[in-house]
Amino acid sequence: MDPIAWLLGLGSLLMFGIVVVHLLTALVLIIPTWRICMRAGFSGALSLFHLVPLIGPFIVMAVLAFSDWPGGEASPGKR
Amino acid sequence: MGVEILSLLGLSSVFGLIGLVLAGWMAWRIVEKTGLPGWAGLSAILLTLTGVGTIVPLILLWVFAFMRWPRDEMAGVALGTSSPARPASPSALPPPPAAVADRRAWRLSGSLSSGGTVTLTVDGSVPAYLLTGAAAAQANELSVPDPSVGQPHARLLSAAGRLGLEDLGTAGSTFIDGARLLPEHGPRDISAARAIRLGSVELALSRA
Repeated sequence: MDPIAWLLGLGSLLMFGIVVVHLLTALVLIIPTWRICMRAGFSGALSLFHLVPLIGPFIVMAVLAFSDWPGGEASPGKR
Repeated sequence: MGVEILSLLGLSSVFGLIGLVLAGWMAWRIVEKTGLPGWAGLSAILLTLTGVGTIVPLILLWVFAFMRWPRDEMAGVALGTSSPARPASPSALPPPPAAVADRRAWRLSGSLSSGGTVTLTVDGSVPAYLLTGAAAAQANELSVPDPSVGQPHARLLSAAGRLGLEDLGTAGSTFIDGARLLPEHGPRDISAARAIRLGSVELALSRA
């Protein structure tokens, strides 16, 4: 068997595995984040930023942390 | 070569530390907005540094998403849907003068997609009204005859001169002054709101 073809096949399989693991991890994060976004009054689609590698979760958290929630927030005196 | 690898490792550690601090700070703010103590969010993020890795914070994220938030309970208290223990008034002080309650009825008026208009009056004689797109069949039903309005679509609550609104989860959404109201938000006080939207019908809120 051609060693180049074998290496290419192995690399493709590795990449496929990485993508699948990334999608599964993102899905585990997207489901609860979707609900948090909805309860906060944002679109649930905001949680799809989890699909962006590395900085995606930070984008979702930044939006939730630094913007006013349309669905209402706990009053400052109650915090 | 060794120096490059070491500097690369150091760089990734710095980025990791910055990410951790940022995530902890944002988690603190997010958790605070729900009425829970902010340190709980920070602790969940810091758990990633421990041996339990990311599994426990992941479980906590799921719990946080589906648990009942104190913010929602506060909204219920504001509308009188629950009855928390109220502190007794000091007997040494005279009672404050009672304010005259505004007993005027509420009026919701707007235009339908068919070109007609709709005007609803909520006089408070019934504690809860159903807003429905169908014809009103009972005394506690208010009809908004539009195809975008669910059957029923939302619930209007009237208590102590205040007006509340609760979405019932039908396909056409409900909005209060442009902010979407979801069923899990529970009843919200709309006494100070200017307009509500049921499906595509915008209703201006005023006193009759």
